[in-house]
Amino acid sequence: MFPANSRREFLRNLGIGSAAVPFVLNLPSLGFANQATRKQRLIVVFSPNGIFPASFWPDEEGAIFKLKEILQPLAPLQDKVLTLHGVCDKIRGDGDGHMRGIGCLLTGIELFPGNIQGGSDTPAGWSKGISVDQEIKNFLQKGAATRTRFGSLELGVMVPDRADTWTRMVYAGPNKPIAPVDDPYQLFNKLYGRVKDRETLKSALDDVTHDLKTVGNAVSADDRRLLDEHATFVREMEKELKETKDTVGHAVPKLEPGIKRENDRMPQIAKQQVELLVTSFAADFARVATFQITNSVGQAKMRWLGITEGHHELSHEPDTNEKAVDKLIKINTWYCEQVAYLAKRLSETPEPGGPGSLLDNTLIMWTNELGKGNSHTMDNIPFVLVGNGLDFKMGRSLKYKKVAHNRLLMSLAHGFGHRVKTFGNPNHCGDGPLNLV
Amino acid sequence: MAGLFLLMTVGPSVAADVPTGAQIFSKRCASCHGTIGEGVKDKYPRALAGDKSVAQLAKLIARTMPDDDPGTCTGADADRVAEYVFESFYSKAARDRNAPPRIEFARMTVGQYRNAVADLVASFRPARKPDGRHGLRGEYFNARGIQTNKRSIDRIDREVKFDFGTAAPGPDPAKFDPYQFSARWSGSVLAEQTGTYEFVVKTEHAIRLWVNDPVKPLIDAWVKSGSDTEFRAPIYLLAGRTYSLRLEFSKAKQGVDDSKKLKRKPQVRASVALEWKPPVGTAGIIPTRNLSPESSPEVYICSTPFPPDDRSYGWVRGTAISKAWDQATTDAALDAAAHVAVVADELAGVQGSNRRRRDTGSGNPASINLDSQGGVVAPTPERIGKLKAFARTFAERAFRRPLDDDLTKFVVDRSFASAKDPTDAVKRVVLFVLLSPRFLYREADASPDGYDVAARLSFGLWDSIPDAELLAAARAGKLSTREQVESQARRMLADPRAQAKLHEFLLTWLKIDRPLDLAKDPKKFPGFDPAVIGDLRTSLDLTLDDVLTSQGADFRRLLLDDTLFVNDRLAAFYGAAKPDGANFQKEPLDPGHRAGVLSHPYLLAAFSHASETSPIHRGVFLARGILGVALRPPPEAIAPLPPDLHPGLSTRERVSLQTTSSACMTCHGVINPLGFTLENFDAVGRYRDEERNKPVDASGSYQTRTGETKTFRGVRDLARFLADSDEVHSSFTEQLVHHLVQQPVRAYGPRTLETLTQSFAKNDYDIRKLAVEIMATTALAPRIQKGTASPPPK
Repeated sequence: MFPANSRREFLRNLGIGSAAVPFVLNLPSLGFANQATRKQRLIVVFSPNGIFPASFWPDEEGAIFKLKEILQPLAPLQDKVLTLHGVCDKIRGDGDGHMRGIGCLLTGIELFPGNIQGGSDTPAGWSKGISVDQEIKNFLQKGAATRTRFGSLELGVMVPDRADTWTRMVYAGPNKPIAPVDDPYQLFNKLYGRVKDRETLKSALDDVTHDLKTVGNAVSADDRRLLDEHATFVREMEKELKETKDTVGHAVPKLEPGIKRENDRMPQIAKQQVELLVTSFAADFARVATFQITNSVGQAKMRWLGITEGHHELSHEPDTNEKAVDKLIKINTWYCEQVAYLAKRLSETPEPGGPGSLLDNTLIMWTNELGKGNSHTMDNIPFVLVGNGLDFKMGRSLKYKKVAHNRLLMSLAHGFGHRVKTFGNPNHCGDGPLNLV
Repeated sequence: MAGLFLLMTVGPSVAADVPTGAQIFSKRCASCHGTIGEGVKDKYPRALAGDKSVAQLAKLIARTMPDDDPGTCTGADADRVAEYVFESFYSKAARDRNAPPRIEFARMTVGQYRNAVADLVASFRPARKPDGRHGLRGEYFNARGIQTNKRSIDRIDREVKFDFGTAAPGPDPAKFDPYQFSARWSGSVLAEQTGTYEFVVKTEHAIRLWVNDPVKPLIDAWVKSGSDTEFRAPIYLLAGRTYSLRLEFSKAKQGVDDSKKLKRKPQVRASVALEWKPPVGTAGIIPTRNLSPESSPEVYICSTPFPPDDRSYGWVRGTAISKAWDQATTDAALDAAAHVAVVADELAGVQGSNRRRRDTGSGNPASINLDSQGGVVAPTPERIGKLKAFARTFAERAFRRPLDDDLTKFVVDRSFASAKDPTDAVKRVVLFVLLSPRFLYREADASPDGYDVAARLSFGLWDSIPDAELLAAARAGKLSTREQVESQARRMLADPRAQAKLHEFLLTWLKIDRPLDLAKDPKKFPGFDPAVIGDLRTSLDLTLDDVLTSQGADFRRLLLDDTLFVNDRLAAFYGAAKPDGANFQKEPLDPGHRAGVLSHPYLLAAFSHASETSPIHRGVFLARGILGVALRPPPEAIAPLPPDLHPGLSTRERVSLQTTSSACMTCHGVINPLGFTLENFDAVGRYRDEERNKPVDASGSYQTRTGETKTFRGVRDLARFLADSDEVHSSFTEQLVHHLVQQPVRAYGPRTLETLTQSFAKNDYDIRKLAVEIMATTALAPRIQKGTASPPPK
């Protein structure tokens, strides 16, 4: 009768009503069906426009390596860091480098032909396939032991208000881009709106009961029967509401009010998003997340670092422009700081009901649509992994000889026990997942 | 009814010498309890009424009765007397049956609920001002995207169905670069049905379509991706309302503009078509009559699924409360409260309130509710004042009457005092109001005042809450005389919502107000495909509207018109003259053989089997639906005789053969001779003279309630009789009363139906005037409180 995308089912979201099921609620009293085994998690962090390789990649290979300038913020966690040099995005076809860079980054497959024209190459549309985070989310949501309320969360910071190939990284399937939520208040409502709704409903039902009585007194005894019946159901709902009091199970994070969604507030927005992400993981709202800071061709102006130019235009400057290079290093260092802050917050948060910290069970993969901005190369895409979620052997600098990034995407799926034979374009999956264990 | 009742209580297996429950009661119980359990003063004064089961009653009787000699009425005697007591006056069902018909206290029906919530929110938005034009505003831009300063054409397009070829649109190609241009069509679309519409845009290029929601596109294909040329999305709409619609089209690449660099611009074709698929009826280009160029304010649509309403009386009633209904109501209220909170500043008229909603494109809807944490709109005293006034008015419109001081405190003031943010307070008020019995229930007051009259009128004609004018009339005491009520009813009939309700009534009267499977045997009826079936429904809908909106709205035309609304497809299938153009037009069909809806192929096909006609289904429809004859359901389900078993028999002969027994003939003696008159039309409603190489016998008869036997030859004969028949007029009137007021007509007095039927005749069978008469008669009627049980039917 109704379109599939009709509005959310409120009572279900409030954790009451016949449709309520334990996994939706994460209700301790109903038994944590999904708490028995170790929880594994994945966060993909995106920053745009390539990096400056000489200040990024460690020179050494193996367990003993020195973090370069851009990666310095990760120094306190170096034993949990894995850098992967030599992993290349080999997807070609329609679309310019930036479009394919972000659109094929997690999907590993070409873009459809379309009407979005870049600065070069042929025009293109959306990606032809699902992104690996959604593939893993679907896999986890299939099992009762790994299912969570949201499955995955798509976060962003200052993603422009337009839907095109440059602004979308996550795909639910071919031609199905998912927009990241880049407004912490909106994300907060998604995560905790129901807590507030529940409070409001509780107090409203109190009044409804009272009102049913008042109106009931004014009608005849026969008419009152209908209202009495109604009152019984209202009382039942009140009771159910009371019983589902503690569905969040943790302190609801407090957001600093009034942060506007604008360039200069990026640092505050990023911090708020990290807080919401960490609490969401602690509450087991989801086990997969993406965190897209700006977009492919992102034009953040990092005035808080004293940089007034847009990031993308700086990224086109030649390597000989020392001032520009200096700024690009600063910009990428700032992005690394966000990754480091996220990792730090995860490492400070104990794993609920288990040993260690969230970071012991979470893998962060920081990446980018390009290897280097001014060449638009998709070789040596910066893949930096942090954390022990997938039991990769961390604390290493690895150097590959131009392997396709599809194989890394496969490693992520395999890390969750999802043994895909190929991912994305099968032609690039030749020797299977990269062995990172 | 009485016979059935006795059958149930006594049972056929009781031997004659065993006393019945009724006999035992009368002999041993009535002296204290009264002959019908009403009680006896100084003995046992209370009426026998309660909720024990028959078994529980039997146990109680065996143990305690009679009072002066317990233990002497036991076993089968106790069982029989308990059964009698239970069935005659004790149980709730018996008490309901025995009570005189009255205006029932009831909650809104689901349909009324959806309408009421939509109209309640809409009442705070500017009213739409239709100017009678049809089509959409079409603007064409000599640019890749919509740029007002590059607009070259601004006109009204009757529909959106264009094939531009490789050229530019419009008569002056010099104004356009055919390589890249864009267009925007905007205005409103009228939904004639409640249900899920599917909107479809067909194009090789980029489009975005908004329907109702001005922020979030229903279809976003601005990024062209892959080779799809058809984009579709469903949306639930309410009948009788118009919705804003905007379609943007771009024949261009988006992103970087490289057109200036191109040495030779390739010749690319461009076309665009805006189609839809209504819940029932013709799928295709959205017709001109549903489009208008002026825009409409957003309609809040409650799409929460609800359990269906009771229809056991033949009309929908809100007399049952269930847990599922309560949950759906709460769901719907939460949804509405969330929506209203997002747009509260706009609805309350707070300055600069249009910034709170934004859209992030093809992903998640991003109508965001910035509460205290967002703090984008500061809670100034002025804003709080406006929101508070809004909340109060919202409650008043929902409750259909002003709030007194106590109620204002209870509903509004407390919420604003306790909430941190005024938007939260609004949300809290809306939630309570939509869950309050004052909103959900109708007919709470024993003696209706002007506000009750206003509500009766609005629910009667619109299935919704009163508008500002009705409330103003109530406030001014101008809803107390019959003339005042009539004049309001006449005004209200001009509203599309009244049109939708009357249209819905005619579908109910014709027994086709539910999904029907009209598919036929494709071998026997090639070409009778879903498209033709959809067209037939549209044709019937147009027929009904044609009568309803015409001067005089003459009921008899429904039975006597000899034309059919056809489009190309129907004209070809039924052999009518092809209409001028692709749209539906009235054309004569089978001159002298057709009679209004009675021979409309949609009905004829609906009341037919997959490969044969069904004189029984057609006869039942005529007897029950049109003539109002009460027919009992058949004692057992019987499959029709397969035609192949009797290859020599016509359908008429086969049906007669199967229903010859006298048990059958009590009803089929009425049904068959009515149904046979339509035998000139096959199972898809085409005219035929012969069936199985035999001439069709379409003669039939009907014995009127005054005892006259009328005979007919064919549908036109029948139609002439029906059009003039008191029985038909009375049945139509009764059904219309039930459809409009959803109360039994006898609740308004034993002679009301007769009086209304007479006025129907006096007004030359004007359906709209009848609706006015009905509202004038019922809206001012007092409510009779349910008294004690009256004697059971004898």
